[in-house]
Amino acid sequence: MIEAIQFSSFSEFLDMGGYAFNVWSVYGLFAVFIIANLWLPLNKRKQILREQKRRLLVNEERNITTDDKQQ
Amino acid sequence: MWLWFSKLGSPKWFYELSGKWLPWLVGAMIISMTVAVVWALLYLPPDYQQGYTSRILVVHVAVAGTSLAFFPLMAVAGTITLVWKMKLADMVAKNAAALGAWFSFITLATGSLWGSVMWGTWWEWTDARLVSMLFQFFLLLGVVSLRSALEDPDKAAKACALLSIVGCINVVIIKYSVEWWNVLHQPSSPLSVNSDSPNGPEFWIATIIMVLAVYLFLSISLILATRNEILQRERRAQWVQELVRNS
Repeated sequence: MIEAIQFSSFSEFLDMGGYAFNVWSVYGLFAVFIIANLWLPLNKRKQILREQKRRLLVNEERNITTDDKQQ
Repeated sequence: MWLWFSKLGSPKWFYELSGKWLPWLVGAMIISMTVAVVWALLYLPPDYQQGYTSRILVVHVAVAGTSLAFFPLMAVAGTITLVWKMKLADMVAKNAAALGAWFSFITLATGSLWGSVMWGTWWEWTDARLVSMLFQFFLLLGVVSLRSALEDPDKAAKACALLSIVGCINVVIIKYSVEWWNVLHQPSSPLSVNSDSPNGPEFWIATIIMVLAVYLFLSISLILATRNEILQRERRAQWVQELVRNS
């Protein structure tokens, strides 16, 4: 496994045969793309649940007070 | 068959089933993505012409190929919306448009980063492959803004469904642009695991694993967004309110 690696040192790995900027930009962009499109919907889910829970509790409170009045 | 079909249209059924699938999909994505990226960055031998820039193509080819799936997917979902008025199909279509725009943008950006060294240019207006891909990016942004521009959700769903069906024409143009016109962009290399093919077998195996990882990512992201859509549109349903209360 180790012998099959194309580079003999870490700096050689970072250099990518002289194409460091292009290769690492592509992989960096790819990472941002993947993480953003998983994090955004997960974060939105949290917001939705928080917002709907708040609305539900407000509604329930309102129902309790109207019930009190009816009694 | 019809029972299955009507069940599939039920947001609750989809929400529960996708909840069971998600951990497996995420596990498969992490494994395939790690294998593909480590293989591409550490083990792929330099190409005799491109050097290490061939590593860009593992990402570019996988994302570009997958981006072509969006219009057909949205067209199928749109047809189901138009014919059977299935709510779930429209929820999938709505979120697919925005994700597809991301895919198209990443295709253009990674292609540019490769072309800037291999072609000596970031962009070429006369290249039909590049321009038709840019057109797909704008078309998908068009679908997203069409949805937000129309206030009536039923009308918006119908209009987006129609635009998605028409948009499939562009997918055919993207696919065959490299054969119909003499362009800078090279045609897709024959998929070959022969060691004497222009790209060695290592390149293709890494790319195929990357394609699998990217498709898994697409499904996961789309499922997550669709589940959010279900929570919003079905917020008055008993099961959603219970789920919210227990969250």
